[in-house]
Amino acid sequence: MRLAGEPVIVVELTHLSLACCALEVEAALREGLMPEEPDGPPGAARDVDGHVLLVAGTVTEALVPAVRAAWERLPEPRFVMSFGACANSGGPYWDASTVRSGVDRDLPVGAYVPGCPPRPDSLAAAIRSLLGSTAQRMPA
Amino acid sequence: MTAVGAGAPPGPGAAIPEVPASAWEQALRELSEAGFDCLDFLTAVDRGHCRQVIARIRRSADWQAAMVSTQVAAAAPVLASATGVFPGASWHERETAEMFGIEFEGLADSRPLLLRAQPAKPPLLRGEFLPARVARPWPGAAEPEVGADGRRAGNPSRRRQRPLGVPDEPAQGRP
Amino acid sequence: MMTPEPAHGAIGLDPQACTSCMLCVRECPTWCIELGSHTEEVSDPGARRPRTVNVLDSFAIDYGLCMYCGICIEVCPFDALAWSPDAADPTADPGGLVLGIDQLRGWFATPSDS
Ligand code: SF4
Ligand code: SF4
Ligand code: SF4
Repeated sequence: MRLAGEPVIVVELTHLSLACCALEVEAALREGLMPEEPDGPPGAARDVDGHVLLVAGTVTEALVPAVRAAWERLPEPRFVMSFGACANSGGPYWDASTVRSGVDRDLPVGAYVPGCPPRPDSLAAAIRSLLGSTAQRMPA
Repeated sequence: MTAVGAGAPPGPGAAIPEVPASAWEQALRELSEAGFDCLDFLTAVDRGHCRQVIARIRRSADWQAAMVSTQVAAAAPVLASATGVFPGASWHERETAEMFGIEFEGLADSRPLLLRAQPAKPPLLRGEFLPARVARPWPGAAEPEVGADGRRAGNPSRRRQRPLGVPDEPAQGRP
Repeated sequence: MMTPEPAHGAIGLDPQACTSCMLCVRECPTWCIELGSHTEEVSDPGARRPRTVNVLDSFAIDYGLCMYCGICIEVCPFDALAWSPDAADPTADPGGLVLGIDQLRGWFATPSDS
């Protein structure tokens, strides 16, 4: 998608929807909370600024291999976003033996988004915090 | 004849009909033959001296539910698998096996379900503590630092505050 | 477009109202509040003996763990905690969601009406 703003960010989201947080991601994508550029200027095709693995929800121990595999398949440049308390630290399940206490134990997280769940509109802010500095300027 | 009540749906707090462990599979089969064709869930409770295994089964014709339970000895927690009657019990029995240490005879799939490796002790037995709660210092243990006068705030005779779900003393089980 | 009723964004602290009673710290299900305090003696005019009071030194909420249950707000006997419509920002720093008195005080100034 093309995230409107300054600079415009072209991002490929791979959404690992693992629990309730995923609903907020869907809300962000569907309810207009992600200001999207409809299409770039003619001839302004360019590569994505980044591929983002969006880990939204509870990472159970059983799912760790699948989460790692999703990351390994992501092309460069790639980033991990930890969306919500569960992915950040285990959150409500911090003490459960079945839940990973933070996806950063397995993957290099580039943005931690607080909340249980985070607000939908924090998704755009988190993408900007991940890719804003590396995003290419749109050709004039 | 089975001890299983197939009438009104069991409400909260209702006694769950119990059958001997040796009659477990037969009780499930009779329920299945009475139209209770849909296994809702199967799990266990650690009762100390024994582990209670509970199944809830629905009748797809009218969505009525029935429950049935049995007990297995804590010293030898073995029970016939329900998968011969309800193949879908496999998922629940895998979970119950790893969480409560119950061996289901005849369960074809013995892979761990929720944990990637079977821990030394089944984590949902009452004597077990969640390792994360034991390992992490509890911020509630803090008391105000002793003041410059050397006196301690609060009532010194008050029992030291402890969080829930951690052993009172190392190596001592919860009551 | 706005998120509807963004009331439960974060929890703010009024350090003046907090008595360091530790109730919120002990009730928090995720153990995500850390509080440091010490005692001081206060002499009231006319009182025969000085009284001992708790003085709050540090108070931090780990928003990487907080599950926004509001139990801390409910149990606080002194209304020193309140919901704020503002939320903590995403961060690249693993410890960057542990927010201390300065940040929490600012959030108390903009409490929601819930
Ligand atoms: S952080 Fe909260 S809302 Fe998000 S997945 Fe975990 S429990 Fe659900
Ligand atoms: S809202 Fe709940 S989890 Fe967060 S600090 Fe308060 S008690 Fe702890
Ligand atoms: S419950 Fe209220 S007064 Fe007590 S330590 Fe927490 S914030 Fe302070």
